[in-house]
Amino acid sequence: MKKILLSSAIVAALILTGCSSKDPSIDTTTDTSSEQNTNTGPNTETVTGTDVMVDENTVSGSDSNEMSMSGLESQMQSIYFAFDNFSLSNDMTDKVSDNAQLASTKASSYMLKIEGNCDEWGSDEYNYALGLKRANSAKAVLIEKGVSSERISMISYGESNPTCNDKTKECWAENRRVDFKLLP
Amino acid sequence: MQYLILLCLLIFNLNASDLTLDISKQVDSLPSLVIENGSDINNKLNKKFQRSLISDMNVLSIFNVNRKSLNVDFDDNEVSRENKKINYVLRFKIEPLDASSYRTEIKFFEHNKIILQKNYTINREKLYVFVAHAIAYDINEAMGEESIDWIKKKVVISRLSARNQSEIIITDYTLTYQHIIIKGGLNVFPQWANERQSALYYTSLSDFKPTLYRLDTKTGKKKKIISSDGMMVCSDVREDGKKLLLTMAPNGQPDIYLYDVRSGKYQRLTHYSGIDVSAQFMDNNNIVFISNRMGYPNVFSKRIGSKSVEQMVYYGKSNVACSAHKEYIVYKSRETSNAFSSNTFNLHLISTKTDFIRRLTATGVNEFPRFSKDGSAILFIKNYKNQSSIGVVRLAHNKNYLFPLKMGKIQSLDW
Repeated sequence: MKKILLSSAIVAALILTGCSSKDPSIDTTTDTSSEQNTNTGPNTETVTGTDVMVDENTVSGSDSNEMSMSGLESQMQSIYFAFDNFSLSNDMTDKVSDNAQLASTKASSYMLKIEGNCDEWGSDEYNYALGLKRANSAKAVLIEKGVSSERISMISYGESNPTCNDKTKECWAENRRVDFKLLP
Repeated sequence: MQYLILLCLLIFNLNASDLTLDISKQVDSLPSLVIENGSDINNKLNKKFQRSLISDMNVLSIFNVNRKSLNVDFDDNEVSRENKKINYVLRFKIEPLDASSYRTEIKFFEHNKIILQKNYTINREKLYVFVAHAIAYDINEAMGEESIDWIKKKVVISRLSARNQSEIIITDYTLTYQHIIIKGGLNVFPQWANERQSALYYTSLSDFKPTLYRLDTKTGKKKKIISSDGMMVCSDVREDGKKLLLTMAPNGQPDIYLYDVRSGKYQRLTHYSGIDVSAQFMDNNNIVFISNRMGYPNVFSKRIGSKSVEQMVYYGKSNVACSAHKEYIVYKSRETSNAFSSNTFNLHLISTKTDFIRRLTATGVNEFPRFSKDGSAILFIKNYKNQSSIGVVRLAHNKNYLFPLKMGKIQSLDW
């Protein structure tokens, strides 16, 4: 990662030495007649770009502790929501209660990350906020069931984390969900 | 009678400057334009460049562009015999200066007389499309039209490439030039940090908490700005770059905050227990934003520091995104509300000074509208039948142009 950043910076520095300061830099003066053609010749404008790239891919290893966390995480149940809605049905409240039980016993040494998700109908901030409100509904139940709010973080992925990509009502319903993840 | 004529003239003039009114122009009534290729070598670059020029000349919306191609001698100071009857002729020549640099020369003829002549240089071949855009800008100026600075601007988009994976890409408004500036992880909502477009803000969703970063696009240097549990989006940057409008949710409630870049201090602007998001500056003292405080998402405005809010849009029951320029607001409105089939979201334009509503799109999911700095154009994302595109609306010309993305889905954009 450091090598990539270093090489990116060197490439950028090399390019910068050969480029003008603006990007793209545009000369605002224009030739307006053939008269200028015979006298001074046309203006020249230099158009420049950028070559910098940041690679944020990370390589993570795993150990027995992570295996144990992963096994517990798989027991956490996802919950699902109606279209354009963030209130919990009774069934889904029961599932969050089960998750709270697990979080307070076998998984008590881990932090909890609640991930809100939406279907594909919109990538706007509002859709992300809807995902967050879904996560917040689940957080309220976890706290009511005795999980400390200090252990809980939330995030909304909007429509960017689908588990199903088909264009069907079943698929869209599957993506309107909240997932529960464990963190060390 | 004189007063009646005066009144009619006044109404005509008012309507002519109201962008919410549809304007129909017949293509046949526009002057004709043809492009001549005066390059010595006919290679792939020439063909790609000519395609971009034709596309840009169409987007200018002031010519009836002839698509036929003709190779000519660039140095000839008259238009070719075949094109004598064409109103305007744009002749270009591309020649390599060294292994990577190119020079483009143009001559622009009006009825066989040169009215513009200019040279452009690039230090890498892939920048050719920006030369086409710069030429389009200069020709528009030479024609005495309203300036279109936006055509030369870079556009930054986030592209969803896979589940929980995205790339931040610097591109042009036609998506022809593409440079991936951030890859790996889930990075969304990029925003240019200043007028010069030398840095950008973006949200990383790969960290423990959603985190806002600032990236210098020249050096690749990244700086953490602020993070918040739940949500963190920079929805707008003030024109001077000194203030940001953020959506944060430290307690699970998405609200709007004003962030001071120099001091790092922030001020909470909204205190509603539901959803307040997508704030944008109308000017230094007023913002517009999306809120569900009426029971459904709609567009509201407020003065910074004031407690009261004002509803801005009275049409549509689910208006989930907007952009503002002076008295004009463009907003995304859901036309259908169906959990079991495809939904349509269209863009509408209103003026706060009139009651007119102008629908700007007709099909698909049209979202993320963004006014150009001069307010004459709107850039937006269109998703239709598994195809993601950038759309450009030329308001004064009543024309929409679409430029499709070959791979992935556009999540958000800024220009």
